[in-house]
Amino acid sequence: MNEILNIEYQKHTLQNGLEVVLYKDNSLPIVSVNIWYKVGSANEIEGKTGFAHLFEHMMFQGSKHVPKEMHFRYIEEAGGNLNGSTSMDRTNYYETVPSNSLELALWLESDRMGFLLDALTQEKLDNQKDVVMNERRQRYDNQPYGLAWELIFSNLFPKDHPYHWPTIGWMEDIEKFELDDVKKFFKTYYSPNNASLVIGGDIEYDETLELVKNYFDEIPSANSIPEIQVPQTGLKENKKIIHHDNVQLSKLYITWETTKLYEKDDAALDILADILTGSKNGRLFKSLVFEKQIAQDVVSFQYSGNLTGMFIIMATAKPGVELDKIKNEILKELKQIEEEGITIAELERSQNAITSSFIYSLQNLNSLVDQINNYNTNLGEPNSFLFDLKRMTNLNIDDVSGMTIKYLNKPFVELQIVPKEVEVESE
Amino acid sequence: MNRSVAPEIKDKLEFHLPTIKQFQLNNGLRVIFVKKDNLPIVQMSLIVNAGSRFDPANKSGLSYLTSMLIDEGAGEYSALELDNEIESLGSIFGVSTDSDLIYMNMLSIKDKFERSLELLSTVYASPLFTDEDFEREKRKLLTKIVRNYDEPSYIASNNFRNLVYNITPYAHPILGTSQEVETVTNDEVKQFYKNTFLPQNSYLIVVGNITQSELEEKLNKYFNSTSFESNNTDNISSPIENDSNIYFIHKDGAAQSEIRVGHLSNKRTDADYFPKVIMNSILGGQFSSRLNLNLREDKGFTYGVSSGYYYNKYFGYFQIATSVDSKNTGETLAEINKEINGLKQNISIEEINFAKSFLVKRFPSMFETYTQIANNLTSLVHYSLDKNYFNNYIQNVERCTKEEIEKAAQKNIVTDKMIYVVVGNADEVLPQLSSISDSNVIELDKFGNKV
Repeated sequence: MNEILNIEYQKHTLQNGLEVVLYKDNSLPIVSVNIWYKVGSANEIEGKTGFAHLFEHMMFQGSKHVPKEMHFRYIEEAGGNLNGSTSMDRTNYYETVPSNSLELALWLESDRMGFLLDALTQEKLDNQKDVVMNERRQRYDNQPYGLAWELIFSNLFPKDHPYHWPTIGWMEDIEKFELDDVKKFFKTYYSPNNASLVIGGDIEYDETLELVKNYFDEIPSANSIPEIQVPQTGLKENKKIIHHDNVQLSKLYITWETTKLYEKDDAALDILADILTGSKNGRLFKSLVFEKQIAQDVVSFQYSGNLTGMFIIMATAKPGVELDKIKNEILKELKQIEEEGITIAELERSQNAITSSFIYSLQNLNSLVDQINNYNTNLGEPNSFLFDLKRMTNLNIDDVSGMTIKYLNKPFVELQIVPKEVEVESE
Repeated sequence: MNRSVAPEIKDKLEFHLPTIKQFQLNNGLRVIFVKKDNLPIVQMSLIVNAGSRFDPANKSGLSYLTSMLIDEGAGEYSALELDNEIESLGSIFGVSTDSDLIYMNMLSIKDKFERSLELLSTVYASPLFTDEDFEREKRKLLTKIVRNYDEPSYIASNNFRNLVYNITPYAHPILGTSQEVETVTNDEVKQFYKNTFLPQNSYLIVVGNITQSELEEKLNKYFNSTSFESNNTDNISSPIENDSNIYFIHKDGAAQSEIRVGHLSNKRTDADYFPKVIMNSILGGQFSSRLNLNLREDKGFTYGVSSGYYYNKYFGYFQIATSVDSKNTGETLAEINKEINGLKQNISIEEINFAKSFLVKRFPSMFETYTQIANNLTSLVHYSLDKNYFNNYIQNVERCTKEEIEKAAQKNIVTDKMIYVVVGNADEVLPQLSSISDSNVIELDKFGNKV
């Protein structure tokens, strides 16, 4: 059954350095065009945070041959959907369109890769700064517990570390950006030799490669991309932060620095997270939520990027329960894994669930093509589904239990988000 | 290479709709099936007419609590054993509830389909409802209600629904209110289950890589329970419409204002459904809509704004939803009013052609995943749509005339019925609201009580 994870593809590199991956699946008349630029918030510096993301917004504001508002309009009129997203390490752009509109999508993507600055105006920048500040308010400032991530990141990593700030950026930095910042950023990072283009779906190989060459060949490559400077990390002792928020239930977050994406331990930490909180039988869920009923929910995961990663456990307290009590239970469960290990049954249950989830993930073309681009960009091999799955299924119980000693015994950041004031609940 | 003109879109595409099969088991369970074989996957959705509108008077949350308990142990399995059985198969099971239905969804790999179906039937037919599980899940629901009222968007949406569906079983929150959930007993859950989880009150939707005969054989094996008479009454009184007012709810330290604007509307099966879809697409149903281009791409007041007609089995409502920075709250409401009035005065043929193109050309992508198809089939049976609904969809969009679309705007956007809900910071926002239209400003608390 796992053969369906072994995908066929073609890969080409244009003269300007653009990597092009083609993946053919003619089962539905749709095609997904997906570009990753190897730039994210880790390429920013203190005082200029949030720029990679703000720039992503500017990429939808039209380019030399595409007037403002028209980028969305062309795709919507063609019956497609489109978006982009920014992370610490990369920015992606994608559109899924009926397959007879493939050329339209390539025209739009190549125009903003090659000719964005010709259409840049102060008015567009001011407008998108307002939109992004409202995005920040909506998704973080006005959300209960919404500031947790930036509090964790900025306490786990030193001030000059590229993961110190949130991808959306600090509000005071977003406000200050100027047109020159946009121009410089575009010239530095948005070149074909810093990008990977994947086209998947209802296509023919030769015809599609011809189209790609027509639209992208003439875009010049840029000089070398600046290296990211990564300072030393590592906490000397536990750090505890208490944040007062507009919430009624207290929430605890414990975070350790671990290892980066696709390292061997990265997979073992994924499995450990599943064994702790992936289901009702997850050790922490069973203990905190099901048996002791001191927490409303508990979630854990390994979150990893190109530079490093972190393992996070978070739990919402039931009304009246002290977070210290929850913390002690969590540490007790981890200690037990450290001493007695996990069971084969737990490992197999988790591996079965992960194997199926790989198959389920093939359903949606847009996410499948994005995953191919992830593999191409980070591993240099688009057909890495089986490799990625085997990272998980080849592990034994000691590989997984060993993670508690190797990483979760080290100092951690403890964040407590607690109610601003004691409020009497009435209806 | 000439970049100054957009490439032309080549010929029309061929798209074949999946064939929809319907049949009924001896016990009355109706089954809708689509064979889809590009992946070794089977998606099953068992839906029951048992959503929150069936909550008895003063027992809001009963339906939701029943749905939380339905998979906490069944047949020979305790809650944890059942979960272990399902996860070990690599299947994904989930339960959700809205105001009309409880959904039990099971996604499985083809090889594990039979065992997954057996477990689904066990959950449906033999839940345990032990007192211990009941107490735990009830406390969990009560905490969830507290947690949700920290969410400005939840407060806004719930209060809007409550005002629009005034004094009907659709008005109260799906999760129920803390006070009423406190009074719910395990016997009431058992009785609710007994009244509603009946084959003739349910549908099973299957989209998967199996044959119809294989499916029928397995269904007869695992879904052969005896049928009971349903004593589920299904009479819904009409909402008593509230006056057009601005309802303001203060939220301490709010960084933005959550806004909902709209009113009660007609059923899903009304004749002008398609003109309405096109009209709404132009107003706020696509990224390039009038509302979004104005409030986001021009003014920068918001990260996004959308509008839509949302349907329950017996009614629908029209709603514009957005969240904007506090200082522009009043101006946002004024702009929303301007766009609503503008739409009623003028819709251009270019806008209509754009919206039709958007709706028609994206149609094939609505049948991409197993889950999407199952969701489409759910609306088909839930709203009792014509059995050729999807076959005629494109034609029905394309044949709407400008007159029909303009008429739909006149009929389905009623300015003097408009309910405005704003959740935000009183000090900053309240002074901006007095100047908006002729509506009165009424202050509510987060639960909808007047203050």
